[in-house]
Amino acid sequence: MNRQPVLVDGCDTVPKLFLKKTAARGDAVAMREKDFGIWQSYSWNDYRARAFDIAHGLLSFGLERGDVASIQSEDCREWLWADIGIMLAGGVVNGIYPTYQSRQVEHTLVDSNCRFLFVEDEEQLDKYLEIEGALPNIERVFVFDWRGLRGFEHEKVASLDDLYELGREFAIENEGRVEAIVEQGCGGDLAALVYTSGTTGMPKGSMLSQRYIVFQMTLAPDYLRQTDKDEILTYLPLSHIAERVFSAWLPLAHGATINFAESTETVAQNLRELSPTYVFAVPRVWEKFYSRVTTAMSEATWFGKKAYELAMAVGTRRADKLIAGVPLSFSDKLTFAIADRLIFRNIKKVLGIDRAHSAASGAAPISPSLLRWFLAIGLAIDEVWGQTELGIVTSCRKGVYRFGTVGPAFRGTEVRIDDNGEILARSDGQFDGYLNLPQKTAETIVDGWVHTGDVGELDDEGNLSITDRLKDIIITAGGKNITPSVMENELKFSPYISDAVIIGDKRKYLTCLIMIDQENVEHYAQTHSVPFTDYRSLCARPEVIDLIDAELTRVNEDFSRVEQVKKFRLIDVLLTAEDEELTPTMKLKRSFVSEKYGDLISTMYAG
Amino acid sequence: MSTPLLQMLNIETYYGPIMAIRGVSLDVYEGEVVTVLGANGAGKTTLLKTATGALDSSKGQVLLDGEQIQCRDPDWVARKGIAHVPEGREVFPFLSVAENLAMGAYNRTDADAVEADLGIVYEYFPALRDMRDKMAAYLSGGQQQMLAIGRGFMARPRLLMLDEPSLGLSPVLVQEIFTIITRLNREQGLTILLVEQNANIALQVSQRGYVMEVGGMVMDGPSDQLLDSEDIKEFYLGKKEEGVRGRRRWKKRKTWR
Repeated sequence: MNRQPVLVDGCDTVPKLFLKKTAARGDAVAMREKDFGIWQSYSWNDYRARAFDIAHGLLSFGLERGDVASIQSEDCREWLWADIGIMLAGGVVNGIYPTYQSRQVEHTLVDSNCRFLFVEDEEQLDKYLEIEGALPNIERVFVFDWRGLRGFEHEKVASLDDLYELGREFAIENEGRVEAIVEQGCGGDLAALVYTSGTTGMPKGSMLSQRYIVFQMTLAPDYLRQTDKDEILTYLPLSHIAERVFSAWLPLAHGATINFAESTETVAQNLRELSPTYVFAVPRVWEKFYSRVTTAMSEATWFGKKAYELAMAVGTRRADKLIAGVPLSFSDKLTFAIADRLIFRNIKKVLGIDRAHSAASGAAPISPSLLRWFLAIGLAIDEVWGQTELGIVTSCRKGVYRFGTVGPAFRGTEVRIDDNGEILARSDGQFDGYLNLPQKTAETIVDGWVHTGDVGELDDEGNLSITDRLKDIIITAGGKNITPSVMENELKFSPYISDAVIIGDKRKYLTCLIMIDQENVEHYAQTHSVPFTDYRSLCARPEVIDLIDAELTRVNEDFSRVEQVKKFRLIDVLLTAEDEELTPTMKLKRSFVSEKYGDLISTMYAG
Repeated sequence: MSTPLLQMLNIETYYGPIMAIRGVSLDVYEGEVVTVLGANGAGKTTLLKTATGALDSSKGQVLLDGEQIQCRDPDWVARKGIAHVPEGREVFPFLSVAENLAMGAYNRTDADAVEADLGIVYEYFPALRDMRDKMAAYLSGGQQQMLAIGRGFMARPRLLMLDEPSLGLSPVLVQEIFTIITRLNREQGLTILLVEQNANIALQVSQRGYVMEVGGMVMDGPSDQLLDSEDIKEFYLGKKEEGVRGRRRWKKRKTWR
């Protein structure tokens, strides 16, 4: 499509924008991160100085334009410093999930022909050392955190501090070199590789140009309402495209302050202490919020319960009017203000979302009932839709509540539905194809349109709704087409169900594998005196199975007979992000799970 | 299976506002040695104290042979047949060895049988016989531990609960004491609930084990299976692969599988 340049503040590349923005923002706080339990601030000047040191250091090792450098780390300030440092030197950034095992790490490093590797600490370094022999093209490895490595010597491995040092020495002789490289850059340059976990086969590397990133930056503040006054919390992996957009690129363009969560376990706590003003979260997090409130309410005093019920009645009435687009009466506003003051504000405070003026949900479909509940307590969550190949493509608009849709396409993007129902999209900033996979690229980009692999519909107002992944659609033995995600989302809305995978392709009826929400089910067992020891014994308790059965029965009522799930089994292993059953954003991988738990599934079809 | 001798169901115990045990369930069958493993502060001692009535649980049940015994006075529970050998021995320092042992039989009226049991104790712990008239305070740590176990045995309990018998003892003494614990179980048919940090030896003498972490159970199973578990090996037995560099400081994530 059109190839006119995409610009933010007159800049067509991230490095150009970075130079301009850091000069303008100076000592303002760019990011915060905890060190020994205390929040430390880093200014835009610090950001710039560190990124320059890294860029100079890499140049001293001979990095040339287009060379790939990878970052394998949990979210931290050094991640972003290295990210920009690599780009300033003309390199291409490849973010690697810290939960990847060495086998997957090896694939992305070999496939991308990576020359330099940044790793977080000794744990991540060990992954490299295990596969060192297969990676002759890696020239240097830099370790952010040298703790535990004192006395360790390796010709290719150095600490990040050493790199800074080398960079500063190199800078003395080469003043203006980075600026010159940045000046030569253009929107068409390759900026980043993002590997997406292929549910089958090895991950594919999407090639993202500078133009792609700059285009994502243009989406704020009009569509994604993040501004320089915002505080955000970063906790999803930065190697994931959504977190990269919200926590790396938008703040760079628009000046929000980034706060790094201490770890994935402390997200809830960090949210509460920070109370960010702009919240992006995956559905799993929003579901967790909801279930925490419902669990707390089930234990509240009689008075507390009544107060919550009354407030919810007020909030829901207002939410339903907002959804229907009916103007609010004075009494709606007044009663909501009272309910908010007395009840909702406290709930939001406990969750750490009381200061949030805007919130977004993405990376997976979310239940409309959940969005309605949040609107009732006074937080409007915009569902956004996108994928690595396109960035964020659509989002709900401020003040318009079309739950169940992901809103209309942004300016500069177009969406249409193919004959088979697949969503096709194109934008001014879409990806340039998959690295080393011309065949896959040709299948995905046809006549400039990206085949998204999602099935959906467009309504009269241009709002897109996502039905499911094309390859996930189930055709039962009876020939009925089923879109599993609709029911899966309703199941996940239950506080006791963390994730669910519906099975039934070429089968007589539908069945389901369910992952329970450990915290809430344990709590249920404890309050109902159901004895258990470990996770497996919890999943085996008949009372727990009955509990999930009741949830399933309730959800089944909203579906027609053929769409109902007849049997289910619980996954009785507590899965972590390191397990291949889960994506880095903790979703169950359908195809992997249906294969791995094949025996368990066949018990549901026996006899 | 038959009814467990001791059954703890969904026990919750508080120290003031702090929940030390948050919903723990456990079974001990007649004739078994069962181990509870856990780091400092996991709630192991609290669990034993809740079973003996030294602490009251705010929720859950303790059943001895199907009869509820939770939240009763410790002396009542002791008469029901649970003997508690506390952490750190806690012998009566100014009483003699013989008097200490007699304290163990305080509730018994069958004088002849008590006399016979005293003989058994001296047989298992010959050192105690030699020191029978000495004040307990003069005993070495190992001898005091023996005395505490002997005192527990003198009650002829249905269940003997041992809280960290290996605490502060040399490896040789630990070996010796655990050998005697095994013999008490096999030869005297004594059912034992053992709380330990020394996972290696505890899992060797027991048939089943539980693992506690921050007030909850995270794993249970036959002892040989626990000995084979990756997490137990790394976090309790101190065995870990050296890693590619020959030494590894980072810890794997615990999964308790």
